[in-house]
Amino acid sequence: MPAKDQSAGTDLTPLSPAIFHILLSLGEGERHGYAIKREIAARTQGKLKLGPGVLYGSIHKMLELGLIEESADRPDPHLDDERRRYYRITPYGRKVAQAEAVRMRDLVQLAAARFGVAPRHA
Amino acid sequence: MRDIPFSLKLYRWLLRLYPPGFREDYSALMEREFRDELSQSRGVCASARFWLRLMADLAMSIPVQLSREVAQDLRYTLRLWLNRPWQAGFAIAALAIGIGANTGVFSVVNALLLRSLPFREPERLAQLHQFIPPHDTAEQFHDWRQQSTYLADAALFEEIDANLGGGRVGSRAHVAQTSGNFFSLLGVHPALGRTFGPEDDVDGTGWGSPGSNAVAVIGYGLWQQLFGGDPRALGSTIRADGNPLTIIGVAPPEFDYPNKAVLWKPAAFSSGNNGWGTVVRLKPGISWPKARAAFAVESESLVPKPAANDSSSLRPSMTSLQDGLAGPVKDASLLFMGAVVLVLLIACTNVANLLMARTADRAGELSIRSALGASRARLARQLLTECLLLSFAATLAGLLIAYWTTSLAAKVEPPPLVAQSYSILDGRVLAFTLTVSLVTALLSGILPLLFLRRVQRFPARSSSQTRNSRLLREGLACAQVMLTMILLAGSVSVGRAFLHLMRVNRGYDVRGVVTVGVSLEGTTHQLGKRQFSYFEEVLDRIRNLSGVRTASATEFLPLYASGFVGGPFGLDGRPATRSSTMVPILSGYFQTMGGQILYGREFTEAEVRSGAPVAVVNEHFAAGFGVPEAALGHQLTNGSDAWKIVGVVNGMEYETDPTTAHGNQVFVPSTAPGSFSSTFVARVNGRAEDHLAAIRDAVQSVDPQVPVFSAKTMEQRLDEIFAAPKFYRTAIWVFAGFALLLVLIGIYGIVSYAVVQRTQEMGVRMALGRTPVQLRGMLLRHGLRMVAAGAIPGIVGARFTGRLLETLIEGAKSIDMITSAGLFLFVALVASTSIWSGTRRIARLDVTAILRSE
Repeated sequence: MPAKDQSAGTDLTPLSPAIFHILLSLGEGERHGYAIKREIAARTQGKLKLGPGVLYGSIHKMLELGLIEESADRPDPHLDDERRRYYRITPYGRKVAQAEAVRMRDLVQLAAARFGVAPRHA
Repeated sequence: MRDIPFSLKLYRWLLRLYPPGFREDYSALMEREFRDELSQSRGVCASARFWLRLMADLAMSIPVQLSREVAQDLRYTLRLWLNRPWQAGFAIAALAIGIGANTGVFSVVNALLLRSLPFREPERLAQLHQFIPPHDTAEQFHDWRQQSTYLADAALFEEIDANLGGGRVGSRAHVAQTSGNFFSLLGVHPALGRTFGPEDDVDGTGWGSPGSNAVAVIGYGLWQQLFGGDPRALGSTIRADGNPLTIIGVAPPEFDYPNKAVLWKPAAFSSGNNGWGTVVRLKPGISWPKARAAFAVESESLVPKPAANDSSSLRPSMTSLQDGLAGPVKDASLLFMGAVVLVLLIACTNVANLLMARTADRAGELSIRSALGASRARLARQLLTECLLLSFAATLAGLLIAYWTTSLAAKVEPPPLVAQSYSILDGRVLAFTLTVSLVTALLSGILPLLFLRRVQRFPARSSSQTRNSRLLREGLACAQVMLTMILLAGSVSVGRAFLHLMRVNRGYDVRGVVTVGVSLEGTTHQLGKRQFSYFEEVLDRIRNLSGVRTASATEFLPLYASGFVGGPFGLDGRPATRSSTMVPILSGYFQTMGGQILYGREFTEAEVRSGAPVAVVNEHFAAGFGVPEAALGHQLTNGSDAWKIVGVVNGMEYETDPTTAHGNQVFVPSTAPGSFSSTFVARVNGRAEDHLAAIRDAVQSVDPQVPVFSAKTMEQRLDEIFAAPKFYRTAIWVFAGFALLLVLIGIYGIVSYAVVQRTQEMGVRMALGRTPVQLRGMLLRHGLRMVAAGAIPGIVGARFTGRLLETLIEGAKSIDMITSAGLFLFVALVASTSIWSGTRRIARLDVTAILRSE
């Protein structure tokens, strides 16, 4: 998808929280759906618990948009469950995630300036 | 964990709500997660929380997935359409015309036949025809209605045209004289003031004496027009034909019964008046058949039986008020409904054909996709989405056509106010349109869908499939040809009926006749001898104009006798049994109208002046004597009046209603033809229009106080009267023409598609020595067999619908064998042109290229 690869990744922002969190999880490496979900729940202290419908609905959409792809490589067969499907982030997905992060950072900076909140790692 | 199997079953069932594509990809994964999650939720609270979350998840994600799939189908459909814009445009246009015409005609049917009248319990209201209750005095009439065993109430009304406002500047308006209980019977309450009561009924003739019942209820529109809606209108005076009437009430906005009346006044009861209409309310609980039977028994005893050989006298009848108000438009609108349904069916088959061709085109792709596991439901839904989108677009366009149709219908046959208006913005009409639209989508999609199933049953494209698809499509074309034959045959019948209507011998010559109406009511000429001198003076002036050959006057012109004007006539002292229309005329009338005296003579001027008791009867009346000339010299009686028959004329068509057009007619000399209005007629040299202004001015010049109205040539009057039938004929022809066009395009599509499909076969045949013309001939023969297969049941259907037309349209005849054969040849010829041009590709086939590709 040359057009997507050349884009700055801003064409899809702002992303829905579910999609951004899925991208964040896959940024670390390949995951199957259930692992993504558990990681998100842990990261958000249980505030964002994706149900199967929303999770796979988002994955379905992300696959179509080319943000992620299904991975043919399987981890060690002992660890693997054949019925699971593994996903990994695409370069385009990475770009979109970066664009979203930049958008959020700008927003946070603006909020900090306006409401006087000091950044945590200043 | 005994509950897992049940929970799982439930979850599986819920997963079915997702679109199949999504389900195929993810249901196993989701199910697995469901199990994992469920196994971790122990305890009632945790389980409840789990299920709540799950439900919320389903509620959020199912609509999203469904709408994504629909959006995908829509995008796909739009892409298809953009690739073949002409095809999509044609399909939408065909369906739009079908849906639009159906909606438009249905809105007329709805207004006239389905929407209930704005009266109290309208379903129990009826009109009596060819029957007038006892009405010599108000008391007699009210006694009759109160003693009725089957009627809760009955009211009389008489319709007349009168000049409102008085003087010559006043406008001509429709007025009803009614019995005092008219409004209360209908259950109509005034918008202002009061309506009539029993105290308003008086005995006598004419307008009644001022002060007693010289009161009026005016229409809402008239109130707005004359008084700007000012309540002070109550108590003011309005003049009708010069007679002052005090306004006591204003009718509600939607009320104009009977026949677009704008003013109502109490009736004067007298024995001589035979122009009454009767509206009745059935007793509660009595059924229509019972009421009809009771009415038949009563009318039998009150109305004299017609003579055995007098077939034209109509028997009394009772019709529901709703049917009565719909009148002639009822049959016409039902006929149209039939025609437009046929057009819609043809349009649907055409679109189905188009979709079939596309599905067949994709047969290879589809069977491969389904072999690879693509969902059949997904493909079917895509097809259905296309049909729905087609019919939706067509419905939007169709509503515009419907709007146009209703406004056209309102122009041709203005609806009575009580029917409100022909509106498409009505719950019932919109529901009808929606239903038609959905049915259209289903009809267009059902065959392609069936074909889709067939395609997927075979692992790969096979010749039997191609053949099946072709057979299906040809079957559709046959159905189209069949429906079109029915529509064409119907249009021929309607066209012929119209020609018959126009060519029929009316008993007079319309060319070169000028007519001018006057009303002597309320003028100084109103009574006796003074009226005759007015007529003589006017006729003198008309006759002195250059180019005028003859002139005369009558109470009413041919085709203008609305309702029942006349009465029962006795012969040679025998009791009255012959019901007949009576037309008062001056001398020279038949000569001026171009009527034909068959036996005897016309009245002389001296006879008219002296009021001689002589009469001229029409041939139909005279036929009752066996030999028409035998009528001469016999004595006609009506009440205490008697006339000697001095002439027999060719019957003049006096009523527009064809069932009574050639009934009995009696012409009598009169020094005062027309108690309410009269019409002067003049025969001129050259074009009648050129003399119109001069004759009108001549009439006007005699007394400027006498209102002169509707100065028209007889041809103009005839055009006005036949405007509606003419419109019906044109509309039916347009529908038939449109159907033929659809068939033409349908057959062309099938044939040219067959050529593309069979290119290789054709190439091989040509390599074996067949010429392109021979091949085209082969396809032509095949195509014509298809046309014949549709046309033959079409002719049978046309004979059946022809019978129906005979009952709906006077003069319509079911088509005969020769016409059927002619129609078949015509359709075959049209189809041949279509087939021949559809196969022109064959002539350009490159045999070597085809063989190489083999």
